[in-house]
Amino acid sequence: MSISGRLSRFARRNSARPEIDARRAGIGILVVFLAPALLIYAGFTIYPVLRTFYNAFHAIKPHGVVEFVGLGNFTALLLADSIFWKAVSNTAIFTIVATIVDVFGGLLLALCLFARAPLAPLLRVVWFTPVLMSYVVVGIVWVWIYDYDWGLANAVLHWLGLGAYEQSWLGHPSTALSSVLVAHVWKWLGFNMIVFLAALHALPAEVLGAAELDNCGWLAKLVYIIIPMLRATIVNLLVLSFIGKMMVFDLIWIMTGGGPLWSTETVSTYVYKRAFEWNTFDLGYPSAIAVLWFIIILAFIAIMTRLLRQRDRLEF
Amino acid sequence: MHACFAMRSVAAVGLVTAAILGGVATKASAQNVTLEVWSHEADEPAKVAFRELAAKNLEKSRPGAKVKITWYEKNPLFAALKTALPAGKGPDVFYLEPDQVEYITASYVIPLDDLVNWNNIEPWARKVWTHNGKTYGIPQEAYTNELYYDKDALKKLGIALPANGQLTQAQFLEVAKKARAAGMTPISQGVGDRPYPGAYISGEALLRKLGPDDYQKLFTGKLSFADPRVVEVLKWVKELVDAGAYPKNFMTLKLGESHYYFYSKPGAVTLPMGSWYTGRAFVPEDKGGQPEKFPLGIMQYPAMDGGACNQCKTSAIGASFVINAASKQKELAAAFLNAMSTPEMGKMWIETVYLQTGIKADVKNFSGPHAAYFTELMDRQKGVTYFIGSPRDMVTGECKDTFAQVLNSAFPGGLLTVDQAVQMMNKSCYKG
Repeated sequence: MSISGRLSRFARRNSARPEIDARRAGIGILVVFLAPALLIYAGFTIYPVLRTFYNAFHAIKPHGVVEFVGLGNFTALLLADSIFWKAVSNTAIFTIVATIVDVFGGLLLALCLFARAPLAPLLRVVWFTPVLMSYVVVGIVWVWIYDYDWGLANAVLHWLGLGAYEQSWLGHPSTALSSVLVAHVWKWLGFNMIVFLAALHALPAEVLGAAELDNCGWLAKLVYIIIPMLRATIVNLLVLSFIGKMMVFDLIWIMTGGGPLWSTETVSTYVYKRAFEWNTFDLGYPSAIAVLWFIIILAFIAIMTRLLRQRDRLEF
Repeated sequence: MHACFAMRSVAAVGLVTAAILGGVATKASAQNVTLEVWSHEADEPAKVAFRELAAKNLEKSRPGAKVKITWYEKNPLFAALKTALPAGKGPDVFYLEPDQVEYITASYVIPLDDLVNWNNIEPWARKVWTHNGKTYGIPQEAYTNELYYDKDALKKLGIALPANGQLTQAQFLEVAKKARAAGMTPISQGVGDRPYPGAYISGEALLRKLGPDDYQKLFTGKLSFADPRVVEVLKWVKELVDAGAYPKNFMTLKLGESHYYFYSKPGAVTLPMGSWYTGRAFVPEDKGGQPEKFPLGIMQYPAMDGGACNQCKTSAIGASFVINAASKQKELAAAFLNAMSTPEMGKMWIETVYLQTGIKADVKNFSGPHAAYFTELMDRQKGVTYFIGSPRDMVTGECKDTFAQVLNSAFPGGLLTVDQAVQMMNKSCYKG
């Protein structure tokens, strides 16, 4: 048979087959493709979470001995642990302030770039670069900036003739938390900015154009048109930012270790200390803190999404 | 028949080969063993060289044995151990310090009494690791708390040190005031990355004022921090703090930076530090070490008015090694501990690390570029009564955390009054 004959027979045979639907895979194929990811997820996420819940109700003794203590860990935590409450208070302040500043600061920067401010391409790179840096680098850089003797912060104050305001920024309970907060915001502003910038560029040009035709001023356009249309983005960033801040650890650990006098102690740093620095192998108590905090975060996320969700669908 | 013969031949060859390979494998598994060691102090070349040499010596004496040392920083090492040991894993041998008694109470380390050659270890150092009649660690590094000073700076202030090298508490306060007036930092110290250096001055003062017994009671919860003698000491420390004794960046200055602050920039009159100061100072200047001609001196911590033991001094054990209870090669692990603890290795430790050791070493004459330093260090040990153990060895849990936050950091950092410090320490530590 000639080659052209073979090709035409092959084409006829294939055209007679039913259409293959890539979405309709057999159970075997599904298992093969999903199993590796599910196993990893189960091993490194589900099991540790379940184990933490289990530990929270037990005292973990050496060599695998566990003793059921019921709500004992939670009672001790809530009724007799003053450092825990200090950590909760610090984390709450940090989370609320940093979330608001991060999200709305990011929005302002994005608006600045969206309005094509001078040097916008350069500013975009400069503002986004800290996002790419690790917490360790950011922490070390800011510890240097805040150093009393050779830090940039005091040098600038001195240069401005404000020497009276020079101080040990990370060394005093009244300034330590806000100083860490500034470093944190510096790192994350750029992330929010880039997300907002993408959302701004996706806004329908007709709506913005119509507002301009109606002689709408820039503030009115921002308040009545842009922000309502960015609502979904704002809510998402608020929730994401909130979760991240409630679990803040790295930056605080590097910059202050929770001091001075527990003024920057957060729930996460306290969990770490209780687990690894308190001369004990009992992971029950730190697990109780982690579980309680997990439930609190979950509850707040539910409340936030309920309060901030879009009730009326925008049409444009 | 031929086929049958061929099959039998193949089977025979197979069996013989399997037997040979099996034999080789058995022999190999008996001899080729790897001893896992986890150690801190990766950033101290002399200590790294010391332990690597001990590993090589063991490998030479035990063909087939290999020692694999993994180097850690302190905090990651203990975080790794606290997860590995409860899972029945971890290295055969690991670095530990005497204040970490939880490893002993949890039985994650084994008694070494019958495994190690204790003839090579100083009895006083062994005692530090003895709990309920059993010894759990090989005390490698020993140190004393010293008060280093810049001889030229002290001369500039017009202060002469008495022959015994010990100023009174009033004289030391005078040094601080004079130094500040002259634009010098009296005491280089920082608590940016350690939970103890800020308490050197108050700790040594309390030891001298209270004497060893009451000092121990204070840090084991049997004596109140409101005791008038303790309050008196804290008031003196507060006077030092108010006189500007510590650097302005005390709260964030790191341990290594405080060394550099003392001998290079900007310079300070004194540096309270464990005698392991040398580990960072005696490296080349371009690697952050002390300048070659730096006029380093050692004075005794000040004598306290009415002190119960002004000749007292803290001596403690630092770097030590223990054997994991889950190790399958305990005998080889003990051989490694012995390899690190011979008199020759003890001599090498002193001559290269420039630091005391718990290993018995017969070193009467010191040689090398820092011989004068070591001679002065030994002179400062004459007539001294040692208190073995630092406050951190005695406190645990919440008290340990409060010690780090209060006596180490906030109090010398000028953030607390004496009353506040007493109240906070008592709340967490005093069990009376």
